[in-house]
Order: sequence, then C-alpha cells, then structure tokens
Amino acid sequence: MGLRSWLHRITAPSGGVDRVRGPVKLVCVVNQSLKMGKGKMAAQVGHASVGAFLGAGPTHAGHVEAWLATGQKKICVKVPDEAAFDRLMTEAKALNVPFHLVRDAGHTQIPAGSKTVLALGPFESETLDRLTGELKLL
Amino acid sequence: MDDAPSMALIVRRDVVMSAGKMAVQCAHAAVTCTRRARQHGRLYDRWLESGARKVCLAAEDEAHLNELLALAEAHQVVHALITDAGRTELPPGTVTVLGLGPAPRRALDAITGSLASW
Repeated sequence: MGLRSWLHRITAPSGGVDRVRGPVKLVCVVNQSLKMGKGKMAAQVGHASVGAFLGAGPTHAGHVEAWLATGQKKICVKVPDEAAFDRLMTEAKALNVPFHLVRDAGHTQIPAGSKTVLALGPFESETLDRLTGELKLL
Repeated sequence: MDDAPSMALIVRRDVVMSAGKMAVQCAHAAVTCTRRARQHGRLYDRWLESGARKVCLAAEDEAHLNELLALAEAHQVVHALITDAGRTELPPGTVTVLGLGPAPRRALDAITGSLASW
C-alpha cells in the first residue's frame, strides 16, 4: 500500500468508505455492428477505460484504487448491436456497478454519435461475471 | 479545434494479437498515460475538454518503440511503455504498446509524424 492510500485509509470517514470485497476488473463491451477496424476499436476501448476510471473515482474510490494497484485488469467482450447496452446499463445501475458509455465523435469510419463501447467497472469480477459472463470474448 | 492535445497509442506490428488483446493493451497505455498526465494541469484539462483524443498508430518492432520512447523523453512528452503480463496469447514480458501524451499536437507530430495508422 502506498503512503497516500494508507493516509486515505486512516483518515477517511468510515461511513463513506467504498468497500471492495474481492478481485476487481474492468469489462469493455464492444458494439460489433459498427464493424470498426482494429485500431479504431483500440482507441474506443481506450476512451472507455479512461472514462470509466475517471468517472468511477468520486463514487467508487476504493474500487478504482484496488484496480490500479492490481495491474488494472481488463477484458474485451462483444455484443451484436447497441440494444444490449441498455440492458447492461440497467443491470449495472441496480448492482451499483459504475459504467461509462462511449459515443463516437464521428471523425473517422463511423457516424457521429454511434455507441461504440460500454465499460463496466472497475468492480468485483464476481459481480461483473454475472452481468457479462455470457458474452463472447473479443 | 485542430490543435487540441492528443494521445497516440503505438502498437508493434510484429506482435500478433487478437483485436480484443490489442484493444486492452492500448487501454492500459491510455489509462497509465492519463494518470501520469494529471500533474500537467492545463494541458490535461484541455485534452479532456476537447474529447480526450486518441489515435492508434503502428510501429515496426520493439526497437522502433524504444526509438520513439527516446524521442518522447527528449520532447518531454508523457509516455508509458506497456509490457504484457503474459497470461494470454503472448509470452510474459512482451512489450506491446507505447502510449504518448496527452501532448500538444505539434510535439506529438514531431515524434509520430512518419507512422502509419492502424
């Protein structure tokens, strides 16, 4: 544990602590219907991961810290189209899983506003597996 | 905003990875560079506000990535060299991606101008 996280641990108010109950990871769900090239997809997954990590900071500080400290584990899975994103986001909300949806600016390859990648986490792998365990690896 | 700061994710062309594996390695570089850039207040803020731009480029091999890394150091551009843990697809310790930036467009172009995009 680093000095900062140790200081945080001994000074943080006990009521607001974001408890982590097991190994954490980030799952990036890619919309296959857009037929993105390999590089385009990599950049979009990059957006999703950075967005998820920054966005989860205020609400899931413990999870973000644990994720960074354990090598920021990530996996990529695929869904056939963006309809699956709505279901995943509804379920994520219900389970208190942070998420970040990437909409493309449309500079290259695909129409502006396309939903490209949904990042779920960082959160307990066990919970994420319940949400995305059925999805195929990319 | 064409002079908006950008980030480059440079992938080795000689390492064969699935699309998912390559995306994860790039994301690793993007997150690590983002963390390292947080102390560069204004540039970092401008990058985020202008859409946190990222491009994916190709390098020939590990030696090529190291040359680019040396240039990044000379230009004082934030960078992160990613080494795979080797749990899937690749032998442990394989260098996969070099992340550069967020950096001003000119600084980034000076380093990556000759690279092909993916």
